[in-house]
Order: sequence, then structure tokens, then C-alpha cells
Amino acid sequence: MIKNDISNKKPLNILEKIEETLEKLNEKMEVMIELQKSLGANTQQNTSALPDVSLDVMTLLSMPDHLRKTAMTLCRSKKATAEEISEKTQRARAVESAYLNQLVTMGYVKKEREGRKAYFYVDR
Amino acid sequence: MTEVIAVHSYKGGTGKTLMSINLAATLAKNGKKVCLFDLDFRAPSLFALLKAKPAECWLNDYLNNNCEIDKAIVDLSDRVPGQGRLYACFANPATDAIRDISSKDRKWEMRALGRLLALRESLLRDKGFDYLIFDTSPGLQYSSINAIVASDFVAVTTTGDRSDIDGTKRMITELYNLFEKKTGLIFNKILEPSLTAKKKEIETKINTEYQVPMFGLIPCYCDVLRAGGTLIFAQDKPDHPFTKILFEMAKKIENNDIT
Repeated sequence: MIKNDISNKKPLNILEKIEETLEKLNEKMEVMIELQKSLGANTQQNTSALPDVSLDVMTLLSMPDHLRKTAMTLCRSKKATAEEISEKTQRARAVESAYLNQLVTMGYVKKEREGRKAYFYVDR
Repeated sequence: MTEVIAVHSYKGGTGKTLMSINLAATLAKNGKKVCLFDLDFRAPSLFALLKAKPAECWLNDYLNNNCEIDKAIVDLSDRVPGQGRLYACFANPATDAIRDISSKDRKWEMRALGRLLALRESLLRDKGFDYLIFDTSPGLQYSSINAIVASDFVAVTTTGDRSDIDGTKRMITELYNLFEKKTGLIFNKILEPSLTAKKKEIETKINTEYQVPMFGLIPCYCDVLRAGGTLIFAQDKPDHPFTKILFEMAKKIENNDIT
């Protein structure tokens, strides 16, 4: 009986792990696509801006409009998922996920996982 | 819902502090619970104008994370008639405090924005305040932009002075609009003698020129200037035309008649 239980659970666990890994890969790919689109030839300039990162109002002002909207919305929340941000900005979840991950890559926003959910927050 | 109002301007001397004090007092007179904040850290004035007893802490201490907000606000409800409540939170006017806050870095300013945003939770939700009014410093400074970002509505005060017009227009398009803030224009110290008759005409003209709705049209009243900012009109001059204009502005906020 016990043996059967373990053998039934194992494939499920493996599938869950695979799903989780695929989600992570998917998010990384979204970031790479967004970075390529938005940063393009300015990659070098952005890399050099990375050391001094803080999501202060002057930084918010100089951001492109699409990122500012996401960043401003996150500023007003303590911690939020891409889904929660998308409800407030009225944009698609996948779009917000890409923008949030871009903000994470730029160093302005932190991301942490709780179970299967990814939470974003401004580290003050 | 409009709960946090930032009173801002491009140039100094446009009447921000006068508008902030009197708008807060008018809302309180209408039975609301209001807290007025002095965010002009480089030239604090509320503490001196209101001749209040200092709170245990200054707003500077709250932003520095050295105290909670209830230690930094004082009850001034005896200054307004009726059942409403008026509170204030002062910027520290001491020279070393001004020097200290002027030398803060971006990280500190980012945290200060977080502390201002947290006031929604601590004052509006937990302590039952209806409105928070931020009196800011003029132009593009960290403290003012933090206040604008933390607000729901920006009341931009201008006098129509030549030196003020272009800067005000630029701030509307390059600051408030970028942050997607609801904005209303307070046109102060108007010298037009027949303002009442020409009100509609002037409103349309200003609306076309600045591309923002009119929030208040205020003639240049000698007795307002003579008072030197020390009068709370809702209390001291209830029948003054300035008090009546403030009442209309407060009603717009209370009815959420702000676009």
C-alpha cells in the first residue's frame, strides 16, 4: 500500500517541479525579450546606471511611460503579484509580469516567491 | 476618491500656504477630520503662522523613521468652528534641521516617499481622517514631488505672473501628467475688477491656456494680504468673499467633483 502511494505521488511531484522550472524559464525569457525591445542599443548605458539604483521620484520621472505606470502602482502597494498590478493598471497580466521583471533586472524592484506565486516589492 | 491633496506651485509667493491652511480649515468647518502637513522643509512656515505648541516630534522625525505619526501631529480643532477636527504636522524650522534635510540622498528620499504613502494606512484607514493636505515647497524638489506622487489631487496655485506662467504649464505637462495626477488650477490674486461678471469667460480662457480644470478663482483681496497669513478665514472672517470661495473649493473635494 505504502509503496503504491509513493509511486503515485512521485510522477506528480516531478511534474510540479517541471512546471515550476518552466514558469521560471518563461519569466526569464519574458525579461530577455523586454530588455531587447526597450534597451536595444543602450544596453551599455543601462548597465553603467545599475550600481546606484533607488526607485525615487526623480528616477520615476525619467522612466519610460510604460514602466513608470507599473513602478508607480507597485510603489502604492506593499507587495503585489503581476496579477494584482494588472488589475490596477488595466493592462494584461503578462504585460505587467514582463515590466515587473524588467524593473527587477534593472535593480529597482525586488522579487520573491511564496509557494507558486511571485511577489514584487520596492525594497526601501 | 480624493483624500490626499497636494498644494503646489512653480514659483514661491503664489499663496500655497494660505490656500492649504484655509482649505484644511474649511473642510474641518464642514465637519471633516483633516490633517495639514508642512512639506516645505527648506522654508517651514506653518509652525510660525499657526503659533501652535510643538508636537512631541516634527514631520522630519517621522520621515526619518524616528517616530510614529501620532507623535508628530497636534490638535488644532479649537481654531475652527463646529464639530470638525483640524490637526497639523509641522516641518522643523531650526536651521540645522533644514540643513540636515537638504543634504539627504536619493535612498532617503525613496524611503520618505514610502513613509508619506504609509500615511494613507495610518491616518486615513486606521485613525479615521477624511483628508490630508500637503503644503509643499515650490518648483521641482524632492519633497514636493514626493508629496505629488503620494497625493490624489494636485491643486496648482498660480498668480498669472509672467515668470510663473511658462513654468506652471511645463509642470502640468512634464510632472503632474506624467504621474497621471488629477490636477486643478487655483488662480490667485486676480486683479480683474469685474471678476464676478467675467468669471465664465476667464475660466474658459484659463482652461484653454493651461489645459487643466479650474479649481478656484481668487481676486486680490487687500485684507487677505494684510492678514499676512495669520487669519483662518473659516473661523475669523466667516462672511468674507474669500471664505465663500474656499467653501466652494471644499465642496468640490467633498463631492469628488474633480476630474
